[in-house]
Amino acid sequence: MSDITMLEIRNLHATVGGKPILKGLDLSVRAGEVHAVMGPNGSGKSTLASVVAGREGYEVTDGEILYRGRNLLELAPEERACEGIFLAFQYPVEIPGVNNTYFLRAALNAQRKYRGEPELDSMQFLKLVREKLEVLHISDDLLHRAVNEGFSGGEKKRNEIFQMAVLEPTLAILDETDSGLDIDALKLVAEGVNRQRSPDRSIIVVTHYQRLLDYIVPDRVHVLSDGRIVASGAADLALKLEEEGYTWLEQGGIQALDSGANPPAARA
Amino acid sequence: MTEQQHMKMPGAELAGRWAAALGAAEPGPAPTWLRELRAQAAGEFRAAGLPHRKVEAWKYTPMRAFENYELAAAAPALATAQAFEVPAPLCDRAIVVDIRDGVLMAPPAGLPDGLSVLPLGAGVERFEARLRRLYESVELQGATRAFAALNTALAQQGLVVHVKQGLDAGRLLLRWAFSPGAAATMSQFRVFLLLDDDAQLDLVEQFMSSWGGVEPTAAGLNLVCQAELGERATLRQTRVQAESDQALLLTAMTLEQAADSRYVFSGFDCGAALARHELNVRLAGPGAVAEIAGAFVLDGQRHTDNHVCVEHRAPNCSSEQFFRGVLGGRSRGVFNGRALIQPGADGSSVRQSNANLLLSPLAEIDTKPELEIYADEVEASHGATVGQLDETAVFYMRSRGLSEGEARRMLTGAFCRAVTDRVQGSGLSGRIAELLDAAMPGNEM
Repeated sequence: MSDITMLEIRNLHATVGGKPILKGLDLSVRAGEVHAVMGPNGSGKSTLASVVAGREGYEVTDGEILYRGRNLLELAPEERACEGIFLAFQYPVEIPGVNNTYFLRAALNAQRKYRGEPELDSMQFLKLVREKLEVLHISDDLLHRAVNEGFSGGEKKRNEIFQMAVLEPTLAILDETDSGLDIDALKLVAEGVNRQRSPDRSIIVVTHYQRLLDYIVPDRVHVLSDGRIVASGAADLALKLEEEGYTWLEQGGIQALDSGANPPAARA
Repeated sequence: MTEQQHMKMPGAELAGRWAAALGAAEPGPAPTWLRELRAQAAGEFRAAGLPHRKVEAWKYTPMRAFENYELAAAAPALATAQAFEVPAPLCDRAIVVDIRDGVLMAPPAGLPDGLSVLPLGAGVERFEARLRRLYESVELQGATRAFAALNTALAQQGLVVHVKQGLDAGRLLLRWAFSPGAAATMSQFRVFLLLDDDAQLDLVEQFMSSWGGVEPTAAGLNLVCQAELGERATLRQTRVQAESDQALLLTAMTLEQAADSRYVFSGFDCGAALARHELNVRLAGPGAVAEIAGAFVLDGQRHTDNHVCVEHRAPNCSSEQFFRGVLGGRSRGVFNGRALIQPGADGSSVRQSNANLLLSPLAEIDTKPELEIYADEVEASHGATVGQLDETAVFYMRSRGLSEGEARRMLTGAFCRAVTDRVQGSGLSGRIAELLDAAMPGNEM
């Protein structure tokens, strides 16, 4: 773990269609760390992921997001991607007519061009893809199909992690990557993610359930409720949540948290 | 209608000018029945004039675009067609037939045994009975039929293709081109395609005059094509129209299909000021199949009109109409797809689909699928959609690093791929996809 701060979110307020969703969110992620953000439905988990990736329709009304010390909010979505941010979508989008390999090579080359690196020709790209495929147990067949079109739920999620492996982001946000997966698919996805853990890369796992965290063990767990982080702690906080359920939070369970779960302010 | 009212109609002045030119045209050397038919067609044109806005089939395609056009000489000499630079063939392994400024160049030599490619005059001599029947089957009366009448009256340039029973003739490429800076004249050209039982032909038509910065061409073409498919015969037809911004193109294809024959059509439009295509297919024998697909990519002030009609006259035939349109700028697209299931054509299967992407608030699409069923046990589906790009997909692509422009271009290209993918031979299908991509509207939204 390094002391370099990858992502620093301060007092973030965001609205969707005029409705306040994030209400003063603070989060700090250092390089090399894996953080889990948990919370009940409607707590703002996906909004947080969307705001960091720059999705339209999400308006930041107050606060700031610093990514490697730089103001993230002034960057377009593609600039954020080129700067190393990757969002694994909760619902990966089907794009009929666009070949998966073609799309991914265009994306990688757009990023390489941005960074002043030479673009990869199709042979070089294919070599890279083969290496990554083996790791994820993805069949060649997926490469020749249109992006996510007709993919099963598991295939879509694995394709997201495959894209992440190829694009090699600095900060990856996995938005409910576990939803809709059976246990075998979940293990494969988790294995793919774990292989990408590195001292230079930070990962934020957004999830409703603790289950995924059995396989991707986080350095920190944050509990999101009504648009704010209400508790942060070590990996066992997730287990506690699973045991007690989210209603426990709303009934004042925060006060009963063990020593590992301090409010973020106390930790900073 | 009184004479005075008639004169007020848009296009009346133009019709008068063209009628005068018709009167001066030489009937040309031809059998008596054809000379008489040409004179009759000229008479019909003089009587009916040009279609105006109240003629339903031409409601969305006004005559304004034609106003500066004069009729080309009925019998242009072969020598007047200049030897000018033409684009390379869109596909390889094809027998290439050149038509320049509406004039047929010398047909190629060394054709496979059983394939005939003849100029109109020689074709009429060789296949007189069949061609006479086809000529006489064309309706000439009324303003709706004005361009068929004009073509019949004036077309002395033409091509007759015959494929003998059982022969797979391979690929034939008709390369249409007009000389740089050509005057605003309308040429008339006639094509006959005769496929005997079990014969096969893969016909590719390319309409491309401006290429790599060559001067735009204002030429116009009125093309009438009639085809006959024998039992179990297969005709594949791929039309690629990437004409210059000034060009004007009218095509009218009529096809009669015998039992178990198959017609596979793909048409692409990404050029010309105005292109209008009429395609009339008659499924006359049981088990005949027609798969008709098209894509048009329009920007600026381009106008493309597709009028398709498939008539099921025999049982157990199937047909599909599948069209995609991408419209930007102030362009206008028209799709009129009709399927008519006649009494007795039981067990027919009909699919119709037209989806459109409107990329500019000033672009317009008029789409009308029509289904008329008078038979039993018919399986039918039809639908038309008009929409914008999927913004979720745009964001998804941008979140991977593609610029917004790239994302939009890739998505609009993909929208048309559903049609280009139907073209056989990856080389040709890839070339068409490139042409369409290059014509994609700028992102002016």
